[in-house]
Amino acid sequence: MESLSDTLWDVVICGTGLQQSLLALALSRSKKKILHIDPNDFYGGSEAAFSLQDAESWVKGLTGGFNGFFKSATLVKSEGTTGLGPSRAYYLALAPTFIHSRSALLSQLVSSQAYRQVEFLAVGSFFIFKPAQDPCFRPTLTRIPSTREDIFSSTAVSTKAKRMLMKFLKFVLDYEESPQLEQWRSHADAPLTEFLGEVFKMDAELQTYVLTLTLSLDGNISTKDGLATIRRHLSSMGVYGPGFAAIYPKWGGLSEIAQVSCRAGAVGGAVYMLGSSIKEIETVQEDKLLRLSLSSGDTVRTRLLVRANDSSGFGLSISRLVAVVDSPLTSFFQPTVEGAPRPAVAVVAFPTGSLTTPAGATYQYPVYLSAHSGETGECPNDQSVLYLTTLSTPDSNEILQKALDAFLSTEEAQTSHILLRLQYEQSGGSTDLCAENCVITLSGTPLSLAFDDSTLDPVKEAWKHVMGEGAVESEYMNFPDREGEADEDEANE
Amino acid sequence: MANQGGSQHGIARTSRVRTEAQRQRDLERIASYRVLEDDLRARVKNPRTAYADRASAQHVFDLTTRLLRLNPEYYTVWNIRRRALLVLLPAGPKARRGDCCDRSSCSCLGETQPSHGCPKAGRSGTTADDAGDHTSEENDEEKKQDDEETEKQTRTMLQTELEFTIPLLIESPKCYWIWSYRLWILRQSISRLPVPVARGIWQAELALASKMLTKDRRNFHAWGYRRHVVAQLESDALGGGSMVEAEFQYTEDKIRADLSNFSAWHSRSKLIPRLLEERGADEKARREFFEAELDKIHNALNVGPEDQSLWYYHQYLMLNLTTLPPNNEHTITPTLPIEDRIAFLRNELAEIRDLLEDYDNVKLIYEALIDLTLDLCRLEGKRKPDEEEKENLREWLGKMKELDPMRMGRWRDFEEGLRREWGVEA
Repeated sequence: MESLSDTLWDVVICGTGLQQSLLALALSRSKKKILHIDPNDFYGGSEAAFSLQDAESWVKGLTGGFNGFFKSATLVKSEGTTGLGPSRAYYLALAPTFIHSRSALLSQLVSSQAYRQVEFLAVGSFFIFKPAQDPCFRPTLTRIPSTREDIFSSTAVSTKAKRMLMKFLKFVLDYEESPQLEQWRSHADAPLTEFLGEVFKMDAELQTYVLTLTLSLDGNISTKDGLATIRRHLSSMGVYGPGFAAIYPKWGGLSEIAQVSCRAGAVGGAVYMLGSSIKEIETVQEDKLLRLSLSSGDTVRTRLLVRANDSSGFGLSISRLVAVVDSPLTSFFQPTVEGAPRPAVAVVAFPTGSLTTPAGATYQYPVYLSAHSGETGECPNDQSVLYLTTLSTPDSNEILQKALDAFLSTEEAQTSHILLRLQYEQSGGSTDLCAENCVITLSGTPLSLAFDDSTLDPVKEAWKHVMGEGAVESEYMNFPDREGEADEDEANE
Repeated sequence: MANQGGSQHGIARTSRVRTEAQRQRDLERIASYRVLEDDLRARVKNPRTAYADRASAQHVFDLTTRLLRLNPEYYTVWNIRRRALLVLLPAGPKARRGDCCDRSSCSCLGETQPSHGCPKAGRSGTTADDAGDHTSEENDEEKKQDDEETEKQTRTMLQTELEFTIPLLIESPKCYWIWSYRLWILRQSISRLPVPVARGIWQAELALASKMLTKDRRNFHAWGYRRHVVAQLESDALGGGSMVEAEFQYTEDKIRADLSNFSAWHSRSKLIPRLLEERGADEKARREFFEAELDKIHNALNVGPEDQSLWYYHQYLMLNLTTLPPNNEHTITPTLPIEDRIAFLRNELAEIRDLLEDYDNVKLIYEALIDLTLDLCRLEGKRKPDEEEKENLREWLGKMKELDPMRMGRWRDFEEGLRREWGVEA
């Protein structure tokens, strides 16, 4: 058997984050010689999921500097709790991102047959948090209606407001056609809320509902982007079954997609090495090759290297709080409509202005809380994992704590106790790809609660570089079933 | 077979292209099918021998199983299966008591029939009379065991038959013969099994009907089937009581899932008279119920004024107001005084006109407004519309012509009617 150093690799992929793993999936039938390494001793990179012990190691590894996109991580188990289960009973996700039914990622997972390895769960209701008007009342959670039937049954919206919502829903579904196009084009770069107020005459409350559907991190999404996001949500409704517009992969969200993709890569012949990083890169100009020195001591030659940008991220930065609570929060995970599957994820939005900073000012950004039931495999069945996210600001850590407390003071969540808190800051990537001298550098995934399809573009570009002349567009992520191939052969005998 | 002359317009008949290998395979399949069919037909030519004993009945039964899997549409074969099954099924305890079969389930064929009409099929009928030697307690014990055994056998066989139809239904969900056979088996359960067992089987059938309606909410065949199953569950034969409340709630659930469900709204309207009667609703309760329904439909129209099924239900509610005594006991509020009816109508006009503020190009709203105006005139002593109303009618009719020019002939006709009967000049 050839050793690592003897083989002339077609591509070395460094990192098993989502994009690199999808690349491995894309190349899994190509017969290219692929060496896929990762400096960590786990799969998933920035999209990994951890048991409690692994989470603690990860946090420890981050102290004293950053790890590319992450910093300032802490993990605290609550005092005197006997509720925490064994380490392996948990699988906390760094990328608890859900995927809209109409997302291109799903079509690719289907056409590449990788979907068979993933178990998908439904993402259910979206709620809005309303602070109590009066100190003796509790704050409330209102379901956001996003279908005609939702609006019909909603008791939180006035008759007039219902009509406006209906008109808006119909508008959004065809927003790129005339005459709708003319109505918003002039507002394209203005904030969505302005457009809603001016053209649809929506009051602040109604604007909040619509804005929440966009899951905008700064609460200030443009009309153009906002309409696109809402349309994606609405047109995803009901695609895979009644009552839900998005799905979530069991076992840690995007982590599972990365793992399944790497598995496919391995089945296709790629060689995997965890705990291996690149110490030195040398270009061998005449042969158009690279010589890589790995931390394992091996030196390998390859035509191409694909890696992630490991300097810190740029652009958006978020703060996250992952909390494990000792309640199954059953009322959040009710099927929304008859015949709908039981959801495993529910989203609660704290719109701009619903929380106050420690100094007493109203907090100017939204906070999003994604609740995951034990169905996701991320915690035991009698517990839940809450992922809170907001834009990074000096106050964000305290704000996240306040949001968590506020959530736990609502009717639906009141008897829960916090068992564990994991906090960190994460910077986002961009979808730029840099290709220079046989090295392709990916710039990480954009930060969003719902999967952003633009994440997929650099993967395809990288694939084109690797395949070179042999790249056939129609074969990208489009594979026959491996089992089916075998059956076909038998039948033709 | 390929070119049978143009029985379909505009669709070119192309002869199917088959390879020689495919043609040979088809010929083989046809041949084996024919062999099966010929065998069956030969046996059944003489019904007295075909079903004379268990062995021959079983053979015929098995042939039908194979044939029906290949061709469930062959209804004669379903009938043959029924006859064979009747021989194979044990005579039920109900049967032995002499109050057994109706004509349809009796497998008695041929000229001579025993006087009580039921052959001693299955176990040769050991009755208490025959067992002269045993004490009456031992007889009772034996009979009880026999009954239990019979019931178990019957239940298993009927269950197997229901399961047999399932894969056939999945492939051919609209084949009437399969559904008909299923219903026949279900009827057998009533006549052969104790009430609680039969009830269980029919309840499972209701669950199946619900499942079908979840897969396709607007399948009116499925709604009809459901109504039939519910009627059986309510009948004395299954020891049932009224299921009106549960069924009413079911329509509520279906509407919540999808407003645009014509069949659900229709079912609702059919259930209401009985519902109110069973609740023993007095005038006040009936009025409150009516107002709640009005509220609900307003809420629905508010988000879906273009939906015809909603307007259909609205018309049903309006009929409740315009149908005057006598002969209106079936309505929601038969004793509502006329002034109140008029008040309701006026309120409706205002509510529906309000919709125009946000939905100004929905034809169905204008149609409803015209109907309401004329209804009002009728109720108020069959008077003619006043000037303002005439103006409105003209305007709304104009809108309908504009929004639905394809039906211009109808609108012109209607306009003519307005002039002749109501004095509304164009």
